[in-house]
Amino acid sequence: MDKETSTLALVLVTILAVFVAVQPLIPSNAEQFSELGILGPTKTLGGYPTNLTAGQVFMLYGYVGNHEGVVSYYKVFVKLGNQNTVVSNSTYANVPILSTHSLVLDNNQSSTFPIGLSVGQTGTNLKLIFELWRLDTTTSQFGYTGLGNYLLINVTSK
Amino acid sequence: LLAGLALAALLIITVTLVSVPASTAISESDVVSSDTAIQSAFVLTFRAERSGGNVTSLVAALNSALQLVEKAQAENSTNPAQASSDLHAAQQLAQNVTTESAGVSAAGSSFKEFVFMRSVVSAAAILFAAVFALVFGGRVFRWFWVRVYRGYVVRPANG
Repeated sequence: MDKETSTLALVLVTILAVFVAVQPLIPSNAEQFSELGILGPTKTLGGYPTNLTAGQVFMLYGYVGNHEGVVSYYKVFVKLGNQNTVVSNSTYANVPILSTHSLVLDNNQSSTFPIGLSVGQTGTNLKLIFELWRLDTTTSQFGYTGLGNYLLINVTSK
Repeated sequence: LLAGLALAALLIITVTLVSVPASTAISESDVVSSDTAIQSAFVLTFRAERSGGNVTSLVAALNSALQLVEKAQAENSTNPAQASSDLHAAQQLAQNVTTESAGVSAAGSSFKEFVFMRSVVSAAAILFAAVFALVFGGRVFRWFWVRVYRGYVVRPANG
């Protein structure tokens, strides 16, 4: 092996060695996101109730996944709005909260949990809104993640 | 005698009433207090994870505490004594998480330090091996070659 080749080999090995040294210290560059899903009474994407009577108790399931790269504290707010209530990924719906479900998830962990509900208000095309909020540890305040969904329901009196 | 018996009975009733605490329903402030305790415990769990600690058990305890708070709120109107007990248990769990998070955080920091040192030592070893091979590689190779082939006799092919 001549001098140039030896030097080149040493440089390559040096680069490899430095890469090995810093590898465990480089933070993961994966995309960070949360997931929110609303499942029907059979824990599937379907069978959602559409026609209900006021006060009727029904069951849904919520699904939350954490891929934020850190342990996260979530709250799922279930709200009741009317057909004019806007559900967007920028602002939360400013309507009454029916119920709240809190959970803490480790990174890359998900959870499916039951949501027992009943709606007292009657109306057509009411929006049953589900919003995912996450605790900001720097401000110690929950903030809307922008993940929201809704079901349209008709509620009649008994 | 009758007056004495009546007085004794009155005393027994009074002591009984005083010693058995009345079960009161949990208030909104009790729930807020539990939520705050859980939130504080979560922040410490978050920091422990950032330090490299394994927070799986802390996450499980926090979820148990949250479920107890939800259960307490649901049963408050029907079974206030149980609701109060559940809320107390939730606060106790949050307190346990707060206490344990310091140890988890310290263990995480130590492990992170160990991983860093292992990486540095590994890199140094690779570098040392590379420099050694560059400087002494030829000499070492020839030394081994002579050791392996020292018993061989070299003869011309046509001899």
